[in-house]
Amino acid sequence: MLLLGGTLRAQSREEDRALQTLRADSSARTRFVTRATLYGVGCTNLFDTYLSPQEYKGIDFRISRESIRMTRWMGGKLSLQSFFQADVGYAHNRADNNNMFSGLANWNYGLHYNFPITSNFKLLAGGLVDLNGGFVYSLRNGNNPAQARAYVNLDASGMAIWNLRIRNYPVSLRYQVNLPFMGVMFSPNYGQSYYEIFTLGNHDGVINFTSLHNQPSLRQMLTADLPVGRARMRLAYLWDAQQSKVNGIKTHTYSHVFMVGFVKELYLLRKRH
Amino acid sequence: MEFLFVLLALLGGCIREEEFDDSPRGNFEALWKIIDEQYCFLDYKQIDWDGIHDKYKPLITAGMPDDGLFEVLDNMLAELKDGHVNLYSASNMARYWDWYLDYPRNFNEGIIERTYLGKSYRIAGGLKYKILEDNVGYVYYESFSDGVGDGNLDEVLSYLSACNGLIFDVRNNGGGNLTFSTRIASRFTNEKVLTGYIMHKTGKGHSDFSAPEPIYLEPSNSIRWQKKVMLLTNRHSYSATNDFVNAMRYFPNVTVVGDKTGGGSGLPFSSELPNGWGVRFSASPHLDAQKEHIEFGIEPDVKVDMDKEDEDKGVDTIIEKARELLKVG
Repeated sequence: MLLLGGTLRAQSREEDRALQTLRADSSARTRFVTRATLYGVGCTNLFDTYLSPQEYKGIDFRISRESIRMTRWMGGKLSLQSFFQADVGYAHNRADNNNMFSGLANWNYGLHYNFPITSNFKLLAGGLVDLNGGFVYSLRNGNNPAQARAYVNLDASGMAIWNLRIRNYPVSLRYQVNLPFMGVMFSPNYGQSYYEIFTLGNHDGVINFTSLHNQPSLRQMLTADLPVGRARMRLAYLWDAQQSKVNGIKTHTYSHVFMVGFVKELYLLRKRH
Repeated sequence: MEFLFVLLALLGGCIREEEFDDSPRGNFEALWKIIDEQYCFLDYKQIDWDGIHDKYKPLITAGMPDDGLFEVLDNMLAELKDGHVNLYSASNMARYWDWYLDYPRNFNEGIIERTYLGKSYRIAGGLKYKILEDNVGYVYYESFSDGVGDGNLDEVLSYLSACNGLIFDVRNNGGGNLTFSTRIASRFTNEKVLTGYIMHKTGKGHSDFSAPEPIYLEPSNSIRWQKKVMLLTNRHSYSATNDFVNAMRYFPNVTVVGDKTGGGSGLPFSSELPNGWGVRFSASPHLDAQKEHIEFGIEPDVKVDMDKEDEDKGVDTIIEKARELLKVG
C-alpha cells in the first residue's frame, strides 16, 4: 500500500474540530506523522589518536530530518521514530597550523513506549537502532591521513514531551537522550595502516564489540516547537558526544549544535486505485 | 554544560589523552611519548628509549628558543637512525640521512643523461627508457612518487620487447607509493610469490606486535617481462624502493647489481606536537620472505661500486657491469 501525505493546516474551526476527531480516533491517529527538517551550526571538538594526540576545535554544520508517528502496537502506546542527521566539521589544532575535516551520517530508527503522566506531559522510553558512517581527515598526515567512522549500536532512548502555554502561546518542549549500550565498530588495530587492511586484506581485529566500557557515547536533544503564523517552527539544541576507545585508539567528537527548522504534520492517505 | 560531562563520566569517562603544555618541556615529553608508544623499531634496534629520555631531558630549559628546542629534539630523534623519522617546523626539517650520506654515492645523474639516455629517450609516466646500442633496454625510475600506470608499463615493455635484456635502475630513488612498487614488480613474475610480511603494533609496549601477515605478489595479467633483468641499486634506494627491490629479488630472472639499498622498511605514520610541529616515524615494519628485517637495507647479488676513473670518462661502472652480466647470462 502506497501512502500519500499532505500538510495539515486547519483552515477553519470546523476543520480543526475534524482534525481533533481524527487524532482521537484509534485507527486514524496512527496515520498522523510529525516531520521536521532542521539546519544547524555549532562548535565541535575532534580527537582521534590514530591521527594526532591533539584535540582539534572548530565548527560543525548539521542537517537533520525526523519523523515520528504513533503505531497500533501495544494498545497504540508505541511511537515510531526515524531520526537522520548528517554533519560536516572543520577544526584546527591548538597551534592553528593544521586542520581536520570530519563528516558523519547518522540514522536512528526505533520505538518508544508512551507513558502519559498528565494531559500535557508524557514520558517515552524505548530502543533505537543507531547507524553511523563517516570519516575524519587530517590535511597533513602521510600514511595515516584519515580514519573511517563506521559503527552500529543498539540505543536505549528516553524522551519527555511537555505541551504548555506561555501567555496563551502554545509551546511544545521535548528532551530526548539516546545512549548506545551495545554495538559493533570498525577500527584499525593500534598501529595498523589502511594499506594493510584494504590493499593487503588483513582484516583481523578491525570489527569490535562495543558497549559502555569502550564507547561511552550520548546524544541529547532539546527542542521547542513554537507556532509562527500558521507554521510551527522548531528550535533545537543538540549535544552529540561520540567517544570510543577501541584497539588502543582513543576518539571523541563533542558537538554542541543549535538548529532551526519547521515542523509539518502529515496525514497519510491510502492510495486510491 | 558540565553536568552533561559528569553524566558521561558516570558512564565510562570522557575519552581524552594526557595533554602536554606548549612549552619546551611539554613538547619534549610529547615527542618522547609518541616515539615511545608508536615507533616500531625500538626493540629491533635495541634502543634504550628511557635512557634517551634521561639523556636529553636536562638539555631542555624553560626559556629556550624554538631553534634550540628543535636542535635538541632533532638530536634525540637521530638516535633512532631512521630515514623515516622527521620533525617539521616552519623553518626546518629534522632528518637522519646518514644511511646514504656516509656511503659512496654510486650514482651520477649527469652521466646517465649524457652517456646513456641522451636526448632522445622516451618518458612514460615516471619511467625514462631507451634501447642502448647493444640492444639492452634501459629504464630509469627516479621516484616511486611519480605515477606509473598499467598503460605505461604495457607501452614500455612492448617497446623494449626485442631487447636482449633489461636494466631497471632505481638508484637514488628515495621511495614513494607502494602501489607502484607492486604494480611494476607484478610485470616480472609468472607466478604468485611470497615476498615478505607486514606487522603492526597492537599496543603501546615496545614489543606489542601482531603476527606477521604474509604479502604475496600476484603476476600481472597483462604484458610480463620474460628475459633477464638487472636491477640497479645504491644506498639511496630507500623505502618503497627497498620494498620493490625486496620483491624483485625473489624472481628468478632478476639480479640485483650495485650497492646495498638504504632500507627504510617501516611504513611511516604522522603525528604532531603541542606547538604544531609535525612528526613522522616508522609505525609498521615490512619483513622479507624469511621474516627478517630489511630496515637497514638489502645486499645486492653483485656488489659493484662506481669507479672514479670510469666516472671521469663519463662511464657508469654499475650500468656497464649490468650490460656485461646480461651478455654472459
